[in-house]
Amino acid sequence: MESKKIESTSEVLFSIKDLHKSFGNHEVLGGIDLDIHNGDQIAIIGPSGCGKSTFLRCINCMEDPTSGSIIFEGVDIADTSIDINVHRENIGMVFQQFNLFNNKTVIENIMLAPVYVRTKKLRRSSKSGDAPKLTKADIKKEERERAMALLRRIGLEDKADVYPSTLSGGQKQRVAIVRALAMNPKVILFDEPTSALDPEMVGEVLDLMKELAKEGMTMVIVTHEMGFAREVADRILFIDEGKIKEQGTPEDVFDHPKDPRLQEFLSKVL
Amino acid sequence: MTFFAEIWELLSSAKYMSMLFTGLGTTLVVSLFSAILGLFLGTLVALVAICPDSPLMKLPKIICKVYVTVIRGTPMALQLFIMMYAIFAIRGFPQEITAIIAFGINSGAYVSESIRGGILSVDIGQTEAGRALGLPYGVTLMKIVIPQAVKNVIPAIGNELIALIKETSIVSMIGMYDLTQAAKVIGAGNNMASYIVPMSVAACFYLAIVYTLSFGIKGIEKRLRAGDRR
Ligand SMILES: Nc1ncnc2c1ncn2[C@@H]1O[C@H](COP(=O)(O)OP(=O)(O)OP(=O)(O)O)[C@@H](O)[C@H]1O
Ligand SMILES: [Mg+2]
Repeated sequence: MESKKIESTSEVLFSIKDLHKSFGNHEVLGGIDLDIHNGDQIAIIGPSGCGKSTFLRCINCMEDPTSGSIIFEGVDIADTSIDINVHRENIGMVFQQFNLFNNKTVIENIMLAPVYVRTKKLRRSSKSGDAPKLTKADIKKEERERAMALLRRIGLEDKADVYPSTLSGGQKQRVAIVRALAMNPKVILFDEPTSALDPEMVGEVLDLMKELAKEGMTMVIVTHEMGFAREVADRILFIDEGKIKEQGTPEDVFDHPKDPRLQEFLSKVL
Repeated sequence: MTFFAEIWELLSSAKYMSMLFTGLGTTLVVSLFSAILGLFLGTLVALVAICPDSPLMKLPKIICKVYVTVIRGTPMALQLFIMMYAIFAIRGFPQEITAIIAFGINSGAYVSESIRGGILSVDIGQTEAGRALGLPYGVTLMKIVIPQAVKNVIPAIGNELIALIKETSIVSMIGMYDLTQAAKVIGAGNNMASYIVPMSVAACFYLAIVYTLSFGIKGIEKRLRAGDRR
């Protein structure tokens, strides 16, 4: 009943209903309901193997849910007959292992998807008869400038033309974050963005994420960094055994946990 | 006469040399075109094999699986005989083309496995990152995965080409005039005391081709790896 208190006046971005996911006979998610509003910063915590990553990956259908619905901007994206790609353009994702494209330079990593998507739209609009104002070269030039501005923002403009293999872990993850930003997503999903980093590099990545949170970016973050979750998130979800066992403000969840499994979990990690 | 004197005699005989070079020509033509056919088939089959499962892809996937299994599970010589005496047993149909088709189909099965392995060896995270950005599967494959797979695949493809060149000597079993057959014909003639001399010379020819090829492949590999870090 405490969690009922959580309300938001802003528009609902995602409405997830009764989400189930099984791998074979193994049910990983056993019915998850969640509304994500514009501007929410949600942290997901829970013991290893409880299904946090699986849940996050269901949100953009990297894993197809077994059942349930995910309404994103009025469309059920769990429905496999829709074109998921146009929706993914608006849902950024940041991975534990960074996953920068090894065969592309840093700036190409950032530009690739925006250039592709805009060029595709350009082709469509020129087919439908509207006179296209831009050429592909214009789009590339614009996106290169935008990518450069993003790199400047994270202080890596001098790394624009190097390959990712030459970057440190923290630099890679910050590039991965601005690569997601370059698409102007409505939300960014983070799956343990700092777990693969050396301790001295965790700070730079968390700082960038804090900045995004302050700017009001909608974020869903799977994390083991409890301090960070408390500081940045306005809502914490505790997932265990494939269900949301408890949710609430950081104060509720960290200071007054009610679920015994959550209490046990917190006693181990705090 | 000593062995080396006989070799010298063979090498200095215009007639024998022209026989060997005619044979070499056939060997090279058959190898080259069946390699091209094999690469094409192999790429196609590999792409079908790595496609995500869908009802539409079911039949093509089964066909590819059967193809690879049958071709890799039966001897090359038999495949060639079947092509030659059953499928393309048309009078006047050029033997070279039959051989190219037979070796191309054979090579394609091996190449497809190498290419498939190369694509699978690219970290799945690369595909996931592309897909998460909204890039379609095909675009992710072409722009991200395949360029990285090429590096991993080159050595295996090189080995396959080398095996292919040597294996084309089987065509001599059906009387095609390739390098091996030329050596046989020379050895069977009156002047040569035995097969051993022309066979040794032909072997050196094969060795030279294979050595040159593997040198070239090493070069390509080096160039591709150099592009990794800049
Ligand atoms: N592709 C898959 N096939 C089969 N089982 C899977 C697959 N992906 C995840 N699982 C299983 O689902 C369960 C939940 O995995 P998940 O990765 O979501 O956990 P997690 O909460 O993210 O754990 P961690 O904190 O270790 O990252 C695990 O038991 C895992 O073995
Ligand atoms: Mg996980």
